[in-house]
Amino acid sequence: MSKNGLTISLNEVLFYFTRAGFGVNVPIGVSEDFARGNIWIAQNGFDPSDCSILALDNLDSQKSSLSIQFEKSKDGGHLFCSEDKVLSAIQASVSCVDWLEFNGLDGGELKVTHVDCPLLVVSVLGANQCRGIKVTWTDRSKNQYQVNLNDDTSWEIIASSEDPILHSNYADVIISSLDSSNKTSISNGHLKKFNITEEKLKTLNNGVNVGDKWPEIYEYFSRCLVKSSAESRASGAGAGLVDND
Amino acid sequence: MNTDTSIIDIDSDFMRSPEKVMRLERMGSSFPTRLSFMRTLIRRMSRENWKFERTRREVDKDGYGLSVYSVTTPHRTYSLVGFTQEIPAEMRTDRVIAEVWDATFNLFDGVPTQEDIDYLAQNTPKQEAGRYRPSELALARANKSLRVFKNAVDSLSKGHQPDIDLLTSVGYLMRTSAVYGSGKFGCADRAKIADREECKAPFQMELLTVYLIRWFTIDSVEELAKEKGGKKAVKLDKTTRQFIGVGNATGLGMAPFLLKHPALIHNWVVAKETALARVRSIETALPGTLEVFLKSLHQVSQHVDEWNVEDEVQSERISRLTDEIQALSMWCENELNISRPYPWNGIYHYVEDNFSLECQEMVVSLIIEPHGTLVDDLAETMSTELIPKFNAEMSLVQLKEVVEGFYQWATTIDFSLEESQHHFWYYSEDKLEPRFGSKGVDDGVEQEMPLAIGRDVSDLNKVLMETSDDISISEFVMNYPEFRHIIRRIQNTFVRPYSEVQDNLLSQSMRPLDLLRFKLAFFGASKFDPKSDLWTRISMYQGAPMPDQLSEPNHDCWSFPIAGRSQSYPCINCTCQKTA
Repeated sequence: MSKNGLTISLNEVLFYFTRAGFGVNVPIGVSEDFARGNIWIAQNGFDPSDCSILALDNLDSQKSSLSIQFEKSKDGGHLFCSEDKVLSAIQASVSCVDWLEFNGLDGGELKVTHVDCPLLVVSVLGANQCRGIKVTWTDRSKNQYQVNLNDDTSWEIIASSEDPILHSNYADVIISSLDSSNKTSISNGHLKKFNITEEKLKTLNNGVNVGDKWPEIYEYFSRCLVKSSAESRASGAGAGLVDND
Repeated sequence: MNTDTSIIDIDSDFMRSPEKVMRLERMGSSFPTRLSFMRTLIRRMSRENWKFERTRREVDKDGYGLSVYSVTTPHRTYSLVGFTQEIPAEMRTDRVIAEVWDATFNLFDGVPTQEDIDYLAQNTPKQEAGRYRPSELALARANKSLRVFKNAVDSLSKGHQPDIDLLTSVGYLMRTSAVYGSGKFGCADRAKIADREECKAPFQMELLTVYLIRWFTIDSVEELAKEKGGKKAVKLDKTTRQFIGVGNATGLGMAPFLLKHPALIHNWVVAKETALARVRSIETALPGTLEVFLKSLHQVSQHVDEWNVEDEVQSERISRLTDEIQALSMWCENELNISRPYPWNGIYHYVEDNFSLECQEMVVSLIIEPHGTLVDDLAETMSTELIPKFNAEMSLVQLKEVVEGFYQWATTIDFSLEESQHHFWYYSEDKLEPRFGSKGVDDGVEQEMPLAIGRDVSDLNKVLMETSDDISISEFVMNYPEFRHIIRRIQNTFVRPYSEVQDNLLSQSMRPLDLLRFKLAFFGASKFDPKSDLWTRISMYQGAPMPDQLSEPNHDCWSFPIAGRSQSYPCINCTCQKTA
């Protein structure tokens, strides 16, 4: 499983990404959501390892943090890192879902400051069936993105450039209600639409292609494995049995 | 019936409580029932008149090479692609860490092309080291039981049947040591097939794979005997063919699955317990059912006689079971005991009050058995596609109430005691083999699998007790993200009361074997043969009809088989007679 250019299953995305998060000390419950978000990414035809490696690297190098704080304002809410670091999208994403579920948007907006991987936030919202919302950001390359999570059947990306959304990072993210009056805020944007059912079917029939970042994901995953020794092998299930019976 | 929300009345006098059922000791005494997944699959095969065919057999004189067996259902074809090879005896092991096997298999979704076969030939024999595609629904391997396999080939080649005593002592020709599905190693995800009628019940494609492997093993010995004996060779007689099962060696891999799928486990248990409750609530026995039950006691005592194991604990349990079945038979001979209203409830209570858990659970299986028309619909409620969600809308007060009301079994365990946290579960770097470590002895506590449900609930409870009710649950998990997983679990399990094993899984006295037997019984396995607290051998499909017997009467009545008999006790009150 440590080779490049593999095709993996969605179940393997769940298995490896949950543990890859755990490998950079993400609490297991948050890691489970992170992996579900990666399934959503994979189901929509993207390489989840390409999307997530930065968030894992940032936590591993302590450039980002899972520490998060919350403020409520008259316009909505604000999530931000409580340390002087980038806010990890792995934590930001679950806090966004919780906030939306508990508070709703009610005409306001939720702002998430200085998050490393905006698409990861989108993915966890998507995986949790958050619908009728838009997620907007301008990244450090000044590219603008708007993701509309329309309904149970479709979502779309509107981008100011053709740079892959997977690689858009370090931005303030704003989540607000999607309505007809402000559906598109980026002028002359590139629009890409996704049919959720069709994309999922394609993935189930063809698998998930993972590229050159996969070995790094696997490396984080492998931190959850315990080194084997002669003693542990000898105490494993089935040890000592003669199977030439 | 909605598979996620089976309506049950837990307060019913006839329904056993989760506190009674979901205890390791009882779980470790489980037997298969007519709702077990192999039984469900066989019923469907017969009902839908599935067609079976060996489509390729390209092997040398020793049987090494390629075989393909196909099964055609009303809507599609599935193919078992098998590769056999000679392996050195010293490398034959049933453990996950094995690297070679006598036979390796994939269940292919459809009819494989030559290109598919070529691809699989490069991968299947490598098992976990190979890579598979969404066209492969399952991956499996099996090793020969050398003595039985050789005896069968030698005997048949000389024109006579194999040594029935030897065959009975083992029960199978080959033993599987892993059957993977659901996206493992690149195979198809469950979601690809979940909507297919024949895949809706749990593990149907994995168990179809095993059924085809059983056929493959029987076909193989007959072909090898013909190769060796020429015209002198004979085939296995019908009763022997049906008696031969396929073995399985199972270790710790099953235990994490059981703990990671609480909603699924709830549905399995609710179905079985509802079946039992329906039978116990019958005021007057349905015609003929008591007679079938009494005959089944006689048959089961012979079955138990043939259930011989080396494990001392299990051996004692079997010995006691033998005596108890005899005592129950005698008690039932007194008509006054069984001719009262609610006879099944009376039998159940008598057994519960007087006999071991092993006997209690066997009788549960036996009294459900003659009531197919009453309970078989429950098999359709045993799946779930539920993805557990974290519910941020639940208040902290509610969460505290749920923990107090539904998790007393966890909050009353004293986890400060060393023996309460003696064990931990981890994945080894050796082919991800799951292992059950001891603290202070084994490395890897830091990489513990998140399976310590009781301890995590206990830890959460302590923090909750010191936390104000004023904050929301989303704020709580921002402050304590380490509890997110256990809160999500609690939120999804308290409405499914049969989903949790209500015992400490880290305790020094914990036997993973109990979890294995519980799960294997739901699959339909029999003849549990523990090799340690971590490992068991079993038989699957022993007594089940072969493909050419699926349309015969009594095809669904094959539980607790005995050697030399083609058929279990006369079938009654289920649907399988109707196809005769």
